Amino acid sequence: MSGGVAGAAAGAWRRWWAPAVPAGRVALLRAVLYPFVVLDVLVLTDDPLAHGDVPVQLYRPLALRRLLHLPAPSPGYVRVLLVVLLVSAVVAACGRLPRLAGAVCAAAYLDWLSNAYSYTKVDHDHAALVVALLVLPTVGAVRVRPGTGRGAGRGARSPDEAAGWALRCVQVAVVCTYFLAGCAKVRFGGWDWAGGAVLTWAFSRRRTALTDALAAVPPVLVALQWLVLVAELLSPVMLWLRGRALAAAVLFWLAFHLGTYLTLRIHFLPTVVCLLAFAPLERLVPPVRPRGRRAGTGRRALPAQEPAARGGR
Amino acid sequence: MHEASEPVRRLGAAALLWRSAAAVVFLLLLSAGTLRGTDDGWPFAPMSQYAFAVDLDGEVRSPYVQGTGTDGVVRRVPLTAGGVGVERSEVEGQLPRFVRDPSLLEALAAAHAARHPERVRFASLELRQRVSDLAGGRVVRVRDDLLASWTVPDPRQPLGCCGGGAP
Repeated sequence: MSGGVAGAAAGAWRRWWAPAVPAGRVALLRAVLYPFVVLDVLVLTDDPLAHGDVPVQLYRPLALRRLLHLPAPSPGYVRVLLVVLLVSAVVAACGRLPRLAGAVCAAAYLDWLSNAYSYTKVDHDHAALVVALLVLPTVGAVRVRPGTGRGAGRGARSPDEAAGWALRCVQVAVVCTYFLAGCAKVRFGGWDWAGGAVLTWAFSRRRTALTDALAAVPPVLVALQWLVLVAELLSPVMLWLRGRALAAAVLFWLAFHLGTYLTLRIHFLPTVVCLLAFAPLERLVPPVRPRGRRAGTGRRALPAQEPAARGGR
Repeated sequence: MHEASEPVRRLGAAALLWRSAAAVVFLLLLSAGTLRGTDDGWPFAPMSQYAFAVDLDGEVRSPYVQGTGTDGVVRRVPLTAGGVGVERSEVEGQLPRFVRDPSLLEALAAAHAARHPERVRFASLELRQRVSDLAGGRVVRVRDDLLASWTVPDPRQPLGCCGGGAP
C-alpha cells in the first residue's frame, strides 16, 4: 500500500518536473536564446570586454572565479573568450552540435558574466538565462520543423520528457528571479521596503521627464512599490497557471519590464526572453508538407497534430 | 507519417534522478543565496537589485569622480565602460576601499589614459558625493561632500601606464 503511495508520488514528481512536452519547443527556445547571447555579449552586457583594460587593482573576483582559479581579465583573455562565446552560440543557434556547442557556450558565458560582476556590481537579471544555457544542452538534437523534414534529431511534435525538464527548469528559474527578488527586498529593506522611497532614490539619480512627473507624487511611487513586491511574492503561482491565466501573468511581467525600462533604464531582457519557456512555441512553425503532394492537400495534416501540441502546458 | 503518433520519449530512472537532484540542489542554493548569502556567492547571490530601504525622510547619495587635468581644467571623470572601463555602480560598490586607500583613484586615471591617449591626463582626482536630503519622499536639499582625493605623482604615466608622450 505504501508502495502505491510512493509510486503515485514518484509519478506526480515526474509529471511536474519532466512533463512530456513537444520537443520542438526546445529547438525554438534555442533558436531565440543563443542569438540573444550574441546580442547580450556584444551590446547589453559588453562591460567584460572593457574590463580587460581596467587596472587589476579594481578587480574584486567572485568566489566562483577564485575557486576555478580564473585569471584576472586582460585584453587578450577577454577577446579570446568573446570569440569562443560567439562561435559556440552561433553553432548552437543553428541547431548544430547542441550538446557540445551548448556546453561550451554555457561555460564561456559563466566566465563572461562572472567577469562582469567581479568589479563589485552584481545584477540578478541573468539568472534564468544562465539556467537555460546549462539545461538546454541536455536535450540533444531536436528539429525545429514538425512533419517529415530532413535533418537529424527528435521530431518537433514528439512528446519528450527531457525537453519538459529543461523547460521546467527555465520556468522555475524565471519565477525564482521574481520571487527571490521579493524575498531580498524583505531581507534587506524590511517589510517597510514598499512604504519607503526606493523609487525616489532611483529617479533622483537618473532623471527624465517621466520620472520627474512621477516623483512629484510620492503616494503613486509607494503604490507602485507595493504592486511590485506583491507581484514578486505571488509569482510562484505562475508555475501552476495554464492557458489565458498564464498568458495574462506573462503579459503582466512584460508590462512590468517595459515600465522599469522607461523609468529606470533597466531592461531585464535576459529574463524577458526566458519568459518564452512558458509559451507553446512549437505552434509557431507549420509542419513541412510531405514531398510529392500538391499544395492544396497539405493543410489537412494540421488538425491531426494538435493533440501532440497539447501534450505540454 | 504524422509525428503525433510518435511515442513519448521518457526519461529513464537514472536520467530522472540526476535531473531531479540537480534541480533541487540548484534551487536550494539559489534560495539560500537570497536568504543568507552575499554577492560573492554568484550565481547564488541575493536577487538584491533595488532591495534596500530608503527612508522617506532620509538621503540619497550619488558618488562621482572629478579630476584636474595637467592643463589645470577640472573635468568629470567619465565612470562608464567607454570612459574608464568601470561604471559608477562599480566605483560605488568599492567606495570604502577608495576612502581607505585614495591611491586607488590613480587606477581610474590610468584606465582613462589607456583608453583615451589623446586626451589631457589627470594630475589629481577627487571622489565626491552628491547628497540629496529627502522630506516625505521629495528632494528638499542637495549637498556635495568630498570623500577622497589623490594627487598623481607622475600625471604623464599614471601607474606607469601608456608611455610618456601624452598631453
